[in-house]
Amino acid sequence: MSSAGSRKVETETPSSGATSEHVASLVGASKVFGEGDAVVRALDDVTIGFRRGQFTAVMGPSGSGKSTLMYCQSGLDRLSSGQAFVGDVDVSTLSDQELSVLRRSKLGFIFQSFHLVPALSAHENITLPVDLDSGAEVDEDFLAELAEVLGIANRLENRPSQLSGGQRQRVAVARAMIPRPDVIFADEPTGALDSKTSGELLTYLRQAVDELGQTIVMVTHDAVAASHCDRVVYVQDGRLVGEAQQPTVDDVLNKIRELS
Amino acid sequence: MIRRTFKLAWFKRSRYSLTIIAIALSVAFIVSTLLLTTSIADVGQPLNDAYEGVDVVVQGPSITAGDGPVAGIKAPVAPSVVDALTNAGFEAVGFTSSYAQILDPGGNAAGQDQASSNVAEPWLGDSPLNGYEISTGAAPAGPGEAAIDSTTADAAGLEIGSIIRYVTDNGLQEAELVGIATFGGADNDPYTSTLLLDQDDPVFVPTQGFSYVLVADGTETATVEGIAELTPNAEVLSGSDWIAEQIDLLNSFTGFFSTFLTVFAVIAVVVGMVIVTNTFTVSLAQRTEELALLRLVGTTRRQLMAQVVLEALFLGLAGTAVGVVVGLLGVNVLGWFLDILGLSIERSNAISTIAIAIGVLVGVGVTVVAAVWPAWKATEVAPIEALRSAELEPPSASRKRLMAGAAALAIGAACLVYGMVQTDILVTGIGIGGAFLALYLGADTMIRIAARLVRPLLARAGPTGTVASRNLERNAGRTSAAASALMIGVSLIGFFTLMAATIGQFIAGDSADALRVDYVVQGIGSQPEPALNDQTLSALRSSDGVDEVVPLYLTSVTSTNALEVERVGPGGGSLGVAVTEVEALRAAYDFTVNDGSLDDVAGTLVVVDQALSDSMTLAVGDTLEVTAIAGSIELEVAAIVETTLPGAPQPAIIGSLDLGTALGYNSPATVAYILGDADEAALTQAVGLPTIDVLTLDDYISSLSSNLDTILALVYALLAVAVIIALVGIANTVSLAISERLGEIAAIRAAGASSRQIFWSLISEFTILALVGVVSGLGLAWVAATAFFRALSEGQINSAQTDIATGLLIIVAGLLGGAAASWLPARNASKADILDVLRAD
Ligand SMILES: Nc1ncnc2c1ncn2[C@@H]1O[C@H](COP(=O)(O)OP(=O)(O)O)[C@@H](O)[C@H]1O
Ligand SMILES: [Mg+2]
Repeated sequence: MSSAGSRKVETETPSSGATSEHVASLVGASKVFGEGDAVVRALDDVTIGFRRGQFTAVMGPSGSGKSTLMYCQSGLDRLSSGQAFVGDVDVSTLSDQELSVLRRSKLGFIFQSFHLVPALSAHENITLPVDLDSGAEVDEDFLAELAEVLGIANRLENRPSQLSGGQRQRVAVARAMIPRPDVIFADEPTGALDSKTSGELLTYLRQAVDELGQTIVMVTHDAVAASHCDRVVYVQDGRLVGEAQQPTVDDVLNKIRELS
Repeated sequence: MIRRTFKLAWFKRSRYSLTIIAIALSVAFIVSTLLLTTSIADVGQPLNDAYEGVDVVVQGPSITAGDGPVAGIKAPVAPSVVDALTNAGFEAVGFTSSYAQILDPGGNAAGQDQASSNVAEPWLGDSPLNGYEISTGAAPAGPGEAAIDSTTADAAGLEIGSIIRYVTDNGLQEAELVGIATFGGADNDPYTSTLLLDQDDPVFVPTQGFSYVLVADGTETATVEGIAELTPNAEVLSGSDWIAEQIDLLNSFTGFFSTFLTVFAVIAVVVGMVIVTNTFTVSLAQRTEELALLRLVGTTRRQLMAQVVLEALFLGLAGTAVGVVVGLLGVNVLGWFLDILGLSIERSNAISTIAIAIGVLVGVGVTVVAAVWPAWKATEVAPIEALRSAELEPPSASRKRLMAGAAALAIGAACLVYGMVQTDILVTGIGIGGAFLALYLGADTMIRIAARLVRPLLARAGPTGTVASRNLERNAGRTSAAASALMIGVSLIGFFTLMAATIGQFIAGDSADALRVDYVVQGIGSQPEPALNDQTLSALRSSDGVDEVVPLYLTSVTSTNALEVERVGPGGGSLGVAVTEVEALRAAYDFTVNDGSLDDVAGTLVVVDQALSDSMTLAVGDTLEVTAIAGSIELEVAAIVETTLPGAPQPAIIGSLDLGTALGYNSPATVAYILGDADEAALTQAVGLPTIDVLTLDDYISSLSSNLDTILALVYALLAVAVIIALVGIANTVSLAISERLGEIAAIRAAGASSRQIFWSLISEFTILALVGVVSGLGLAWVAATAFFRALSEGQINSAQTDIATGLLIIVAGLLGGAAASWLPARNASKADILDVLRAD
């Protein structure tokens, strides 16, 4: 934590390891791609924590390292140095099997291009993380409630290829929600949706945070999307370069202009 | 354009490398089998050079029976004919086949192969009729001098100047080896080991006359018409016609292998076509999407097709080039394997351009068609529709495909039934082909059914199991190719295993069990020559402990209604005859007499077996007209027995010694049964010839099928190649199928599936695919073998020899093979970095 970059910005620095209020956190995290002249520091000594029940937007220009931050935080990718905690577990110490269990029980993912399983129906896609766990039972009431709120209750038996983009993304949201994960990571979840569909999706995510206390980390470069969040952090060239609470659209746009 | 195509191809190289390997292997298999086939067919070539100087050939008249001449049997030419021709100013020499087995320095038979004949021929000096040339040393200049062909000299390690020993019908002889000879530029006369002796050697004294007389110009010019005038009772033909006849004879001798290899070559072509086609159909969705995208950005249809053709040409040419080179090497490996087996099928070194052309045609042609056809269809519709169809689930079994499969099944079944009832081999073959086509076309439907059946079972493994069964159903059309490849492999193995078991049972079965002898004495090799002369037989009789020696004089006759009695094995139309001391034989062989009495056998009163009685509807007291070298003879059935003596071909008729005289047979005995408590070593010593084997009963019985064992070794070697190719094809299909699905796998992984769960889901999916292939392959093998044997044995064999344990073994092996082929692709896919796929989107 000696890097100037991380001291300059006020971050919620977890004390040694992670505090109980942080569901996920990065400590001195760096990720380097390539070698020699072609080396890219996608993450450069980042320390950040995500609080339970908080909706955080990660913003920054394209190529700034937002996705890398999310992937490393969730254990989908390994850090070059530093640590990534989910709860108080350092994900870099987990085996592939343990990471799989972590993903299906503690984490939820929403991607820009949905990534539903074409062979499974919407219902089966939603229950996938729970079904993968031989011991776990699907909470059908919760599922029905999710489907109702998301407006996909009558499309549950359809295959993804029979759904519209917005419907697919709602299925993905339900899939991320169903195991009641500690944290949901969403990488540009509205990137492939029109503004109306985007708005509905963001409203729903907001509702999940407010009503269910869901923790969400959302990568986005959309100021409107960020304005739905409790907190926004700005990333540039792999470093944290700013942060704000309860951002408005104007705040975000100003900050972006300032950065570029 | 070409640059961009190459760039795209390079980008997809990992996807293409297995495809190229699959094409290359298929082409290599096709080229090497075809080359072997043609080089075997080409082996008669040296005869053209060797007998270039022969202008006219005189043969005895064909023996006629019933409506026309009997093929293959000719009366001998009287020795006086040679004198008459010589006196008339022609160069003429008479030939008769004289047995001479050369021994190596260790006293063992040299160059003894099952395919070779061992003969002595007169050295004809400068005569244009001499097919041989001395390549080292000198020609035999008088009694006690000999030359041998170069192949035999090398094989036996015999050197000029040494004394060589050889065995003729007159016993063991000696001569000084003075020269090594070549035949028509080749190292030997095809399939023959030749001892060249002086013309006056006693071995050449003709008894009944010559087999043929070769004639060349002397002071007079030899023409067919001119010679025919001088030899009124003979058949006269031109030298070139005679050579063509000899080459035909050679080819009929290797006909079995040629047919056999041709069948394999056809199999190779089918396997190759299936695998190459698979390669493209399995990645159809990916290709359709790619093509649709290119269309979206404004590529014209023509540009697109040009690109697809170029890409396919590149793949096809690359695979074919590698395949042809490997095939050229492979034919030598196959040849080497034949030599190791002792099959010593002779081959020419000529390289058939047709063989290579067919390989290229399949490699390039099928690749291009298989690649272009789906592209053509994909570009026929609007780009967006193509994109959508790539994403949409393929429709359940294509109606057209199902209909074609049903039609093939109906035609195949009809042909099989007809072929089995009428024992028609060609129709049976068509029926087997139809059944294969039906299974190939119906594979996707079978997979869908199997997927539905195992769904509840797989669902227990959780969502990955569900995904496996759904994908089986969804992608059946594309992945059925893998099952088909396995089906071909398994049906081949199953068929030939059944063939081995069935023929083995047929050859060594019941008839060998009835043998009550202590030893069997016969010439060496798997097709023993008649080598037991009177001297040898009496030496055996006077040996210690010998109670009885039963000599068998084996010959064959042609039945007048030959076509009705075509039997298993070469020489269709001819019937094996064993002439023997029937009374003594009854102690050596436990006959089951179905009708008549063995007491009555004498002269032309004979024993026939039940099979012959059935196929010609012969009852005791009926007559049977046959033709032998002495002419036509009427035989009368005295008794009908259940089975006759073992050995191939099995004698269908057994007669007394006077029948031999009546048939004009005067060669030594081929087999002698020994009864009594004698010592093997003592018997061997009594015989005193390395060209004759003394076998215990057990050794004899196992030797009966050794011929078959050798052929089977070849069959299995070729099969192994076919199966390896099928497995590579499966691996390719599987890895392409998996690469289509990386996105889905990444999505499941992101939702928390472990790589182990993914791996087992993929393995179970492809194991079920393999199960469909294996079971249908085995079923096809059984149907084919049963139908085939019924047809080939004229109904003597009614069902293939089935063995549950072997069947299970094949199923397990097939499943393991299928699992092994999908192991690596499944492992790679399950271990693949999730992010690589997620980032790609
Ligand atoms: N697998 C990779 N290999 C090499 N460089 C990568 C890889 N993934 C990301 N990068 C680089 O890391 C930087 C950050 O990428 P990313 O996190 O995807 O950016 P963002 O999501 O903010 O657009 C970029 O410069 C990108 O080129
Ligand atoms: Mg990104």
